[in-house]
This record gives sequence, C-alpha cells and structure tokens, in this order.
Amino acid sequence: MPDVVQLLPALGIVVVAAPLLLTVVLGISSLIGRKLSEESTTKLGHATIVCGLLAAVAILGIMLAVDERHIPLPLGDWVVIPHHYHFSVKFVFDRLSVPFAILSYVLSGTIGAFASQYLHREPGFNRFFVLYAIFVLGMIISSLAGTIETLFTGWELVGLSSALLVAFYQERPAPPRNALWIWVVYRVSDASLLLAAVVMHHLRGEGDFDRLLGDSPWPEEFSSLEPNQALFVGLLLLFAVAGKSALVPFSGWLPRAMEGPTPSSAVFYGALSVHLGAFLLLRISPLLDLSPLLCSFVVVLGLMTAIVAHLAGSVQTDIKSALSFASLVQVGIIVTEIGLGLRYVPLIHLLGHACLRTLQFIRAPTLLQDYRTLENAIGEHLPHGQTGIERYRIWLYRWSLERGYLDSLLSEYFVFPFVRAFRWCDGMERRWTDFLSHGPSRDSDQVRSPSGGIDELA
Amino acid sequence: MFESRELRTQQPDAESDRGSALDLLSETIEHASHLLPAQGPITVFIHHNTLHAFEKLSFGQAVKEAAHVFGCHPYLSEDQYRDALRRGRIRFGHLQEVLERDLEGRTDTPVPCFGTRLKLQLAMLEDPQRTGPAEELVWHVAEEDALRRIRPEVSAVVRARLIAETRRWVMRDLRGGSDPGNGDQQRSNLRASANAPQSLKELLERFDSDIENWSDNEWEGFTLHALWRVCCEGVRDLPAFIASPPPPIRHRDLLLEATGADADLLVNGLLIRFVAAFVDQGLASSEMPLRDEGFLGAFCTIYSQPFGSPDRWMNGLAQDLGRLQDRRISALESVRESLQLLGVPPDDWRKFISATFLPLRGWGGMLHQIEQRGDRAVRPVPAGSLVEFLAVRLLLDKYAAAHVARNELKFVGPLKELRESLRARFDGPARPSVEQRAFQVFRLAQVSGFSPDVLCRLPADEWSTIVREIESFGGLERRRIFHLAYERRFTEQALDAVSIHSQQHRGRTAAPAFQVSCCLDEREESFRRHLEEIDPRIETFGAAGFYSVAMYYRGAADAHFTPLCPVVVRPQHWVTEEVADDQAQLHHWRAKTRRALGEATHRLHRGSRTIASGTLLSGFVGVLATFPLVARILFPRVAARIRRRLAHIVEPPTDTRLLMERCEATTGPENGHIGYTVDEMTATAERLLRDMGLTSNFARLVLLLGHGSESLNNPYNSAYNCGACGGSAGGPNARAMAQIMNDPRIRDGLAQRGLVLPTETVFVGGMHNTCNETVVFYDRDKIPPSHQQEFQDARTAIETACDRNAHERCRRFMSAPLTLSLQEARRHVEERSEDLAQTRPELGHATNAITIVGRREWTRGLFLDRRAFLTSYDPTQDDAECSILTRILQAVFPVCSGINLEYYFSRVDNYGYGSGTKLPHNLASLVGVMDGAASDLRTGLPWQMVEIHEPVRSLFIIETTPAAMINIMDRNEGIGRLCRNGWVQLAVLHPESRHISVFHDSDFELYEPQATTLPQAASSVDWYRGWRDHLEFSQIGSGSEVSQLPPSP
Repeated sequence: MPDVVQLLPALGIVVVAAPLLLTVVLGISSLIGRKLSEESTTKLGHATIVCGLLAAVAILGIMLAVDERHIPLPLGDWVVIPHHYHFSVKFVFDRLSVPFAILSYVLSGTIGAFASQYLHREPGFNRFFVLYAIFVLGMIISSLAGTIETLFTGWELVGLSSALLVAFYQERPAPPRNALWIWVVYRVSDASLLLAAVVMHHLRGEGDFDRLLGDSPWPEEFSSLEPNQALFVGLLLLFAVAGKSALVPFSGWLPRAMEGPTPSSAVFYGALSVHLGAFLLLRISPLLDLSPLLCSFVVVLGLMTAIVAHLAGSVQTDIKSALSFASLVQVGIIVTEIGLGLRYVPLIHLLGHACLRTLQFIRAPTLLQDYRTLENAIGEHLPHGQTGIERYRIWLYRWSLERGYLDSLLSEYFVFPFVRAFRWCDGMERRWTDFLSHGPSRDSDQVRSPSGGIDELA
Repeated sequence: MFESRELRTQQPDAESDRGSALDLLSETIEHASHLLPAQGPITVFIHHNTLHAFEKLSFGQAVKEAAHVFGCHPYLSEDQYRDALRRGRIRFGHLQEVLERDLEGRTDTPVPCFGTRLKLQLAMLEDPQRTGPAEELVWHVAEEDALRRIRPEVSAVVRARLIAETRRWVMRDLRGGSDPGNGDQQRSNLRASANAPQSLKELLERFDSDIENWSDNEWEGFTLHALWRVCCEGVRDLPAFIASPPPPIRHRDLLLEATGADADLLVNGLLIRFVAAFVDQGLASSEMPLRDEGFLGAFCTIYSQPFGSPDRWMNGLAQDLGRLQDRRISALESVRESLQLLGVPPDDWRKFISATFLPLRGWGGMLHQIEQRGDRAVRPVPAGSLVEFLAVRLLLDKYAAAHVARNELKFVGPLKELRESLRARFDGPARPSVEQRAFQVFRLAQVSGFSPDVLCRLPADEWSTIVREIESFGGLERRRIFHLAYERRFTEQALDAVSIHSQQHRGRTAAPAFQVSCCLDEREESFRRHLEEIDPRIETFGAAGFYSVAMYYRGAADAHFTPLCPVVVRPQHWVTEEVADDQAQLHHWRAKTRRALGEATHRLHRGSRTIASGTLLSGFVGVLATFPLVARILFPRVAARIRRRLAHIVEPPTDTRLLMERCEATTGPENGHIGYTVDEMTATAERLLRDMGLTSNFARLVLLLGHGSESLNNPYNSAYNCGACGGSAGGPNARAMAQIMNDPRIRDGLAQRGLVLPTETVFVGGMHNTCNETVVFYDRDKIPPSHQQEFQDARTAIETACDRNAHERCRRFMSAPLTLSLQEARRHVEERSEDLAQTRPELGHATNAITIVGRREWTRGLFLDRRAFLTSYDPTQDDAECSILTRILQAVFPVCSGINLEYYFSRVDNYGYGSGTKLPHNLASLVGVMDGAASDLRTGLPWQMVEIHEPVRSLFIIETTPAAMINIMDRNEGIGRLCRNGWVQLAVLHPESRHISVFHDSDFELYEPQATTLPQAASSVDWYRGWRDHLEFSQIGSGSEVSQLPPSP
C-alpha cells in the first residue's frame, strides 16, 4: 500500500495546520478588531478540530495497517550552521505522539463544543476562543514535536494560553494574581526546559529527539548518551516536568488555576495541560533507561506528589479543588509508573484518566443534584470519612488543609529572599540616584493610585 | 438602622465593669451580624430582600446607606439610564415631574446663570456628566479636543453664539479697544480688564497675533481656552461643599492605602479554607476533626499544633492559641482582647466589627444562617459560631496587620498605636481639585451657552452657589432621579393598562369548560393567558403554589422529608407517598437495586479521587468516559433519553398514593402520625377555595398545578423552583390538595361550612415544569370514567398551551431563533433543560415587575409579558375586616417583594449584591458557590439569571379600597413597612368603581390615567412575534364570543 503511505505527510500537515489555521483566523480577526460572531467562531472551531482529528485518526489507521511505527515529518530548518548547529522544525508520528494528539483533539473538541454554549453571551467569548485555539495548537505541537525546540514552542503556547485563561476574569483581583503565580512557576520550569535544550545542542549539535534518543521507534529507542549526561539533561527536564504537571513542590498552582470558566479548568488542568509533563517524560524515556538514579528521582517525585495530593484532596471542601487534587494523584501515579520503567501502562493510564476527569470537571456544578440522587438511592445521608492515623490526625489535617504548606514553603524560602534581594538592589539604586539628583529622584513615588468612591464607580 | 445612640448610652464607664462591656460587645456583634447576607444553603434557595437589614429606612435612604457600607451600586449606572432616556424608556417629562416632586417647592431656588435649581438639575440630567481624577482631566483637557472643539452635543446655534459673544468681549473689553471719547466707558473697560484674571491676559498674549484675521477655528479654540481658564479661576478658592468620607476604620484598609499591601490576602486564604471545612455539609471525603469543639475550639487545637506552617506572618499564633485554650478564654473575651490590642476604643466597635465582617460576609452569613436554622442543615453548627468566627478573624487580622506594618513600613511599635500612626500619615482624602470642579462647570457652560465673558464677571459668592448646587447634585442623586423616572414610566404604563382594561371587565366565565389553578408565579402568567386564548371557556386562578398544604413530604424514592411550604412556616404535618400494595414487591426490589447502584456509584465517585481505586478506574475504564462525555455534550437530548430510559428500570412503580390521613392524635414523621385529620383537611380545603374566590360556578374538572424546574449543571436549580414551596417543586402539594378535595367526607364538611361543591366536580393535581415546559398529572387512575373525556380534552389544551408558552419564552433566548415554530420551540426548551453546557436553562423570575392581587376577570386578556405575579382574590366574598385579603397579603408581600428586590439588587450591582457570572462558580461545602478555588461565598443571583431583568420596584395592584389597605398596613407591621418605606410601589383598584389610587408618602391619591386606549392584538403571538425586548401592554383578542356571568356586584 505505498499510495496510502504517501498520504501520510499530507495528513500530518493537516493535523498540525488545522489548529494553526484556527489560531491565525481567530487571532488576526481579533487583532484587526473584526471579531467573528459567536456562531462563526463555533463553526470554524468545530470544522478545524474535526479535520485535525480525522487526519490524526487516519494516520493512526494507516500506521496500524502498514505497521509503520515512526513517521518523521521534517518541515525544514530554521537556522543552519553547517557542522555545528541546526534548528529544525520537525514533527514525529509514533505510538506515543499519535494517541496523545488524538486525545488532545477529542477532549479539546468536546470542550470547545461545550464552551461555545457555556460562554454564550459572555463578554470574553472571543478572547476565550482565541486562547483556546492557541492552547490546542500548543498541545498538538508539543505532542507531535520531533525536536526539543519544536516541543518548547508548543510548551510555551500551552503555558501562555493557560495563564491567560486563568486570568480570564481580569476585572477581579484574584484571577490575575493566581495567574501570575502560575505564570511564574511556568517560567521557572520553562527556563529549565530551555537549559535542557541548550545542553542537548551542546552534546549533539541539534535538538532532534531521534539523534539524542536513538532512532528506533518509541518506546524501544536507545540513547547513546553517557549516563551522567543523561542524568543531567534528565534532571533539567524533570524540573520542567514538575512545573508543568504540578508535581511537588509546585502542586499549589493547580487549585489556583480554577479561577477561569469551568470548561477551561476542565480541559486545561483536569485533563490535558497537567499531563503534558508526563508526556514529556515518556518522550525522553530512553534517558530514563540510561540512568537508574534519574528513574529513582522520578519515582520519588511521583509518589510524593500522589501522597500529598491524596491527603490534600481528601480535605478539600470545594469540588474543583477536590477534583484538581484527584487529578494530581493520578498524575503522580503516572509519573511513578514511568519512573518504574513502564511505557504503555502510563500511556493508557494517562489517556483514560484525562477522559474520566474531564467528564467529572464538566459535571462539577451538578454535584448537588448528584448528591441528592445518591442520598435518595441509598436512603440516608452520605457517609463522611476521617483522615489518617489517630495520633497525628490533627496535625495531618492541618497539613492537608494547607496543601502540605507547599505554597508557603515556596513563598517563604524562595520568593521572599528573591524579592528581598531585588528590593535591596532597588534601595541601593534609589540612594544612588537620589544622591546624584540631590533630592527625591523618582516622580513615581509621589503619585497615589486614584481611588474613587461609589459616586465615581459608574 | 443601627441604634447607635442607644448603644452609646449603654457604654461601660470603665474597665471595671467587664461583664457589661462584654454584654455591649455581644450586642454590637449581634447588630453587625444583620449586615451579613441572609441566604441559607443553596440547596434551598429562598428569595429575599438583599437589604432586609435596612428595611426600617426608606428605600432611597437605605440603598444610599448600603452603598457606603458595602461599596455596592444602589442603582444602574448613569450611562445605562441615559441610554434608556435616548431609547425613550425614560421620558424627559417624567424627569421633570420627578424632580419637581423631589425638590418639594425648592424648585425655584435661584442659581446664577442657570436661573433656578430645577433648570440646573435638568441640564445636568440631560447632559452626560463626566469627571475623573484630576490627572486624567488635565490629560483630557490638554491632549484631546476639549480645548479645540466645542462639545459635539452643543447645538450649532449655541456654538455660534458662544463664539460670537466671546469674540465681541475680547475685542471690546479684554484687549482694551480704546474709546477715548467716553470717560465712564473707559473706566468700565478698565474694570472689566482688571477683572479678567491674569491667566486670561497671558492667554491673549499667547494667541494675540493678527487677531483680526483669526479663522473661526481659532476663535473656537480661544473661546474654549478662555472658558477653561475662567472656570479654573472661578472655582479656585472655594471651600469643599461635600463632606469627605471618613478615613477607613480597619487597619487593613489604612495599610492598603499607605503601602499597597493587602493584609486580608493573608487572612482570607486561611480563613476561607477553615470556615469552609467547618460548615462543610459533606463535600470533603474527610471531615474536620474536633468540629464538635466549636469554631474557636477547633481552630485553637488545630492551629496550635507544633511544626505548623512556615508562614512568617503567623509566627507566634500557635502560642497565642495555646494560651487562649489554657486560660479558657471565651470567644467574646478574645474579641475584646483583640480589639484592645488593635487599639479600637468602644466608640468604634460598632463600625469596626461591621467592617471586619464584610470582607468574608458570604461565609460569615452562611455560618450565621446554619447556626440559626440548624433544622435546615444536615450538619448544624453550634450556637455562638459567628462570634467565634469573629474572634478568629480578629486574631488573624492582628498578626497580618502587624506583619504588613513591619515588612512594609518598618513599624515596630505596639500594635495599639498602628492605627493612629497610619491615620497621621493619611492626610485625608483631598478635596475636589480645581480641575475636577472646573471641568463640570466648563462642560455645562458649553451646553448652556455661557460665554467666558459672563462667567468672568461672576462674583465669588455666585461661583460658590453654582459650584455648591452642582456638587450637591452628585452622581448618586442623579441616578436616584433617573431611577424614579425610569420606574415612573413603567408604573404609568402598567396603571394605564390595568385602568383601561379593567373598565371593560366582563365577569366570570359562565360555563367553564374546566378550571385551572396555577401558582401565583409570574412565569405562569403567560401559561394562563395561552390557556384562556386556546379556549375562552377555560377559567384560571392563581394561588400560592403550596396550595395551603404546609407539609414535610417524602416521596416513594426519597431518603428524607422535605418541607414544602413558604420558609416562614414550620410545617405541622408529615405526608409520605406510598406504593400500592400489589406493587410492593416490585417497589422493594427496585429500592434495593437503587440502593446497590447508589452505593456503587458513590464508591466510584469517591474512589476516583483516591490513589488505588483511582488508578484502577482511570487506567481500565477511564477511556470509556469518552462516551458519556461526547454524548452528553454533543447530543444532549439523545443522552438524556437514554439516561431516562435506564433510570426508568429502577424508578419506583408509578402506582402510588399519598398517605394523607392520620389515625393518631399527634403529628410526626413516624408511622401512624403521618397525615391530617379530616377536620384539618376540611379547614385547609376551605381556606384555599375562599382565598382563590372559587366558591361557586365550579366546572366539572378542576386542575391544580404546582410547578418546579429541572436543569443540569445548575447549583441555582432551587431558585427556579416554587418559592411558596420553600425552593422545591410544588407537585406534591397540588396532588395532596386534589386528593383532599376529592374526598366525599371533606365535601360534606365543606358543605357544612357553607361551601357546596357539586358532586360531579373532580380535582386533578399536576405539576408544570417551567423549564422544559411539560405538565404531568398525578392519580390519573382515580379520575372517574365519566370525566375521562373531559380530562383528555383538558390535557390537549394544556399541551397546546405548553407549546405556545415555550414559544413565547423562546423569544427571550438569544440562542433561539425568532423564527421557531411551536414544535421547534418546545424542543428548544426541552434541550435547554438537558444540556450540561446551558447556563440559562430558563430565565427564572427575570423581568418580574408587577404583583396583582384580585379577580382574574379584569386582567384576563391583558398581555402582561410574564411580568406580573397574579393572585386570585375576590373582594366581594371577603368580610369587612378583609381577613382573607390580609392572610393572602401576609404571604404575597414577603414572597413577591423578596423575589423582586433580590432581582433588583442582583441586577443593579451584579458583582456586589449578586454573585457575578456563573461560569467560574465552584460549589463549596455543599452550601454555596465561590469564584474559583478560594473566594468569599457568593450570595445573590448570578448574571445569567438577571441579565434581562429591568430593575424596578414591584408595583403592587390590589383590588380593595384605600381605607381597607391602610387598615391592613396599620395592622401588619411588615406590610406597612414595605409600603410606607417605598420598598414596593402600591396601588389599589377599587372593587366597584374600578378607579386606581396610588399610595404616595402616607396616603392614597386617585390616579388619572394618561392613556385612553391600549394596543390591540388578535393573539399573544401576534403581539410578541419578532421581538426580543420587553413589550408594552396590550389587549389580546376580544373574548366576547363566550357568554359571561354578569359582573359580581
């Protein structure tokens, strides 16, 4: 069936181009101030997602039919310095990327349909769908990425759109504040991903995964790196994974992300975004095979996350936080499984978990009715459990209620010294400029923020 | 509203009197707690006046005071009103009338330049007033066209005159064009010239090149520059006329002002988690330990554990809490201690405590509600929890304030002095800047055509008068006037409609085909109207939807009893639904299956969140979740049908009856104590019939319809249900009443009480689902064969009415095309109720604006646009004391005004009084919703419910005489307060003369109709088709083809 195989590049391009088209159309129409109507946005969204999904499914079908397990789709180099460096845009279709891309399409397509109803007449309808398009694009690029630079692009798009979606209700103070927290966590972990890319270039002269990780199809690749190199690159990547997948110690951002509208929290944090880290681990799994130490780090991190999330989740009193910690438990387990050397199990686990959790998130507001139905069926009030071991119960309860103090630890031992150091620098600079200008040197110090009474609130 | 004077007299003289200080404190807290929202757990949503605590004040005063207390808008924004003015929704004439009435004879107070106060205020209402921070105005004046082009609102004539006058003045006076012949003139020139401020002369110097050849544009620019400078000069040295608001009272607010750091951020996060866990009704899988020790006790134990949070700001808290526990310090004492440490003197307690409650008023209010109505909660909280909440809040506030002050201000002195030291930094809010004041005059001068010449000559005291008059008519005042005119227009239309239509009153239907009684709910107005249109021989009635059956009810498949009656009533009777004996076996089996399924589901639900079972579940069956996910979102109707079909297998058998009759003497939920005695049932039946005025002319078939609403993904579902049934569906009440009415013993009893029901009259109970527009009937097998045909005819009519009602409702849904057919409309509303993504399953009580109590005859055939609560009442059957009317109004006033005012406030300030948009809502503790993962509990109504609501106070039109109404108001404090303080608008329709009198201030005034005819339409659809917005009243059809009984005397 050579004809069919020749179709693959074209299909591959459709998979990537569909969300790109959506992003470009929605983005440009918003930029030039001609927002599409709700109806055309919805239709366009449906059409592009369905196209991309069909193409991805077709690729899966062909791959299964012709037993082709690794299809690279190079789109050319962006930068080439012969013999030293090249920066190529390349996508890879294999047993890891295609299922993940299909999952992304199915879930984001369903959520897109949901959101087009749910956000009907919402002032930010257009903004939501622009960010949604960027998100889908980011997911598809990261899942199909064949080089670390391509992956980084998608990774950044996902991070950017997620943070902006958390800050969707920008007129209230809490969403932007929480979005900023998430943004900072993302930036810090992205810096680590970037470092990893630099290191990979340094080691191999390029960021292509097949050069770094060996060119046999996933998951049977074998990397020719030294174990120490693998450990170093792997740790950098693990840090990036921890940020993206809300592993310990970054877990605190996940409930903070619940500020956006329900569909965005469902798809981004319950289902897709939070699994991206685990996906990256699967992608670089040959590195794990090289370094048992790295594997043990992964296992420990995964288990810690699962335990923290389980304990924190069991005392959460709002449904979205409870669900987000429940998600995190499974992400932790998936990461653990990867650390233990499993490959297909975590992939299947990931796919199943994403679907289940999306359904639960989407149905979250209906919880009251669900509880009533359950109570009526059971015939009594639903039972309530208690945490942990009697002796440490109270201590543990507080620890869980405060989500393992993870956010506090980060603020007190990381953010606070950091901010203080820079404030100190600022203070020195101010002294210096004041000295130079013989008096207060900053006009901005004098300006008070205008605050209006109720009279002006109109 | 808070009797501050009373409190002050009770002030303790010294510390010595500790007990009385604590009493005062507890009283102060009690007073402050009234400010907390009175919304209970969201599962039982009872509409109530958001500003219930302010009802002792008049509406205008109350909303103003509340605006300052809560920082919420009292009215719509000025822009919205001005938009209404442009659309004709507000009439200019009404603005003038309202102003005249409001100024009460002070209309002619002279104001320089403008003439009178009335003229000035009208000018200010007509012309959009803009203001802003001084910096913004300076920027606006300097950078935009404000000094180059006269405002576009100014008419061409005024503009030309303004420029011409300025030109003349400049050439003659300002430039000092000399007239050597006349010494006097010379002097006056000099004077004018001297009067002209220095800045004008500078201006002239700047412009003065070739002045005689200036173009029109240059003159325009000069005019504006001159005007601006004159205005700035004029207002420069004026004192402040409006008292500036006092500095904030809380440390947090002062600190925020001084440093920009918010101490509440630290406290709120922690406190929200804790209070949510404390009131949790079963959402978390593990419950808070030590909950029985009370709020403070649990907090002390949990937060005094060693190795706690690394948060710096809480350093020392654990020891502090340990000390509280060791010394057994009570919550009240702890509050007092914290107040002392924070340096709050008793004089400030009242304000300080109110202000301390407000940042988390939703949670505080919920705690308070559950504390007070423990009977309505699964897990009640002990009494005194609110005080303990306050104690914890103050403890944390103390640490947070100290932390912020230390970090940001390097403040290390005693906390007691923090407030004083912050206030000292606080140089008070600046009085309005010169630019701010000048800007208003500048804009007004342009539209009114005052040239710089005129203004330049004004002496200081006249400037002072002008500015004082302008500033005393500020934004809030203007919005108040706008609002009154906005309401007035609607009131006038409504009263005209009723007045004209009731004159053509045609009496009751002579031989009714059948009679239908619905809830008084305004959503049933259109349903009833359509029924009457379908067959003019159908007669409809409206009554409070619990049909006088106040009961705790448990259905065959229910776990618990639910109170089905207005929330103010505590039911005395219990009623259960029993399955017929021949189906008992089946019922038992199905109940067991349901239980097994329920337990399995519950285990799955919980399990999906744990480590082990979660892994198994998501790993093995997770992918299967795609099917329900995709099906429910993309094909909601199919999914719903499948779900129903599956659920049907385990539903209880349909052959059930209500257990209404009691054998034991006392009532209770146990066997034998359930139900009513025959006498009690007879009394209930009589009461209902007399309330509705249905005592004669019975049809052979009488349908009693309760109502409810079903929707998915909607925490507010209860708010759409029957308010008279305590936020539940009212079907069982209608069913119970029908069963009572059909009992021959009760018919006998009624006959003995002078109420004879024909034996051939049969009652059938049913329920109208106001969301998916279906009507189901109960106990159909009990309908005698002789009535089956009539029942089938009635059902057909009801089905048609449902179609039409769905169609009328669809005109309001933006996602439903205006071209829908009847069937499509029906499908559309069905889909809405089954769609997970639907945030507006129905529009609830939105647009309600009128409450009518009286005979249906005079509203029948009037298109009321689903805006009127309709209660049937026949004044001719009432006694001299109006005892029937009194008991009807005792229910109607709180319920209808509660709904109306809740919608009002949630609409005018959706974020402040309402709960904002529904989309980020997150169900917390099973008692309410938060925005995101940690916010205050959001009370009130979401934007999606109030979006199309027109915020007006309900217009009550009651069919009675003014004297009788005054009498009722005097005897019922609640009703009197609502009417006299203007929380509702009140009018009475005289039962005989049909003249309308409107209540104003303290008495009724005869209303003069402003219109003589109403628009006519052949049918409702003919009137509403193609239109989404509110509609005017119209007369539908003629209805004359049906024989009518002569009007009752």
